[in-house]
Amino acid sequence: MKKKVIGLIDGQSGNIGSINKAIKDIIKGRPYQLKIIKSHFNYTSFDKIILPGQGAYATLMSNLKKLKIIQPLKKYLKNNSSYLGICVGMQILSDWGYEDKTTRGLGIISGDIKKFRNKKLIIPHMGWNTINLNKDDTIIANCFDKKDFYFVHSYIFQNIKKSDVLAFTLYGKKFPSIIKKGNIYGVQFHPEKSHKHGLNLIKNYILKS
Amino acid sequence: MLKTRIIPCLDVIKNKVVKGINFKNIRVMGNAVEMAKYYSLSGADELCMLDINASYQNRKTFIKTVESIAKVINIPLTVGGGVSDLSDITNLLNAGADKVSINSAAVKNPKLIRQASLRHGSQCIVVAIDGKRHKNRMKVVVKGGREITKNELIPWAKQVQSLGAGEILMTSMDTDGVQNGFDSNMLKKVTSSVSIPVIASGGVGSLEHFYLGHLTKSTGLLAASVFHSRKYKIKTVKKYLSSKGVPVRL
Repeated sequence: MKKKVIGLIDGQSGNIGSINKAIKDIIKGRPYQLKIIKSHFNYTSFDKIILPGQGAYATLMSNLKKLKIIQPLKKYLKNNSSYLGICVGMQILSDWGYEDKTTRGLGIISGDIKKFRNKKLIIPHMGWNTINLNKDDTIIANCFDKKDFYFVHSYIFQNIKKSDVLAFTLYGKKFPSIIKKGNIYGVQFHPEKSHKHGLNLIKNYILKS
Repeated sequence: MLKTRIIPCLDVIKNKVVKGINFKNIRVMGNAVEMAKYYSLSGADELCMLDINASYQNRKTFIKTVESIAKVINIPLTVGGGVSDLSDITNLLNAGADKVSINSAAVKNPKLIRQASLRHGSQCIVVAIDGKRHKNRMKVVVKGGREITKNELIPWAKQVQSLGAGEILMTSMDTDGVQNGFDSNMLKKVTSSVSIPVIASGGVGSLEHFYLGHLTKSTGLLAASVFHSRKYKIKTVKKYLSSKGVPVRL
């Protein structure tokens, strides 16, 4: 049987150690193989791509550009291939990012990335917070409604179509914490840091979606 | 709703967790990797580990310990102690730390905070501040409280925020290690003057102390002795806080 190929993009935006290890543990003994993507790649040779990200939107976009990853990644996403973006890896699916400077995103899910506006909030939104499901889905099948995940971010996905929001979280106001369009997923929290629920979510994404 | 974080702190020399009272009379509490694994499984929201004897030789073993811990836990890991420049920060992040805490190096060279947060993002730069009362003023101290700096506590807290720190780890040297409770007065002054998260540290001895810490508007509550000595399990603390109406991850 041909093994499914999972690509993990190293966008030089934080450490990929935890997510790398989580994926390896999940696919051990199963018909999958993991490849790290660090430069231009053939977008037809991957069954799933995961892009974790920390730090700033503009930095991740410029890193991906330098590494010549943007073009194949856009083709991959426009093809509606399976993708999981984590934190900034989710945010860059948007049209525009407004962190540090205005940066054009991948333009896959319409919306903008803007800062929490409430002046009374402690920013960054850092710690464990609850996700509330709008609808059910294969990657959140294990009763994830009202469960806590680990967040650390100051910017949120805004002006997004309601139909693209799978789950929301409350911090000052509601913001999208899981988004989905076709086979493309994004999570604002860090599943790789979110203990067992986080690992289950990655597992569901890899094995069930 | 955002939960109040309960954070066990491991003071580490090489690969051993140690505890000293006011940084003196150090004794070994256990193996760092084993303890980190135990806390991650038993409900800690985050882990903090500090290299409290960051000499050149000890440092290599400490970094290896960070690597080993990062492999066995899947909650965020903050690492600090002896961080003196950008390359130390990069090395710790590469070893698997999610956040790096800077203390005296930031006092000596505040620009380091800006450089580090520009390079790695504010979210992974924690500034640890040790505060102490001196002649009716709250001052920033270094070297475990032995050296009083020229910095006043509150202006320094504001400055580290404006330089790009993502979080403040606030330890009161007046209450640390003596288990009489957090320094509520000092913590409230800090949380009301910054808008970044503040972790309260220094002095927890009872369940009520955790609750009083929460009332200071600190979003993380750090403790060492009460957990290492097995006086309280993390679950016990969380159940107590929850019964008092504090949002925690159960």
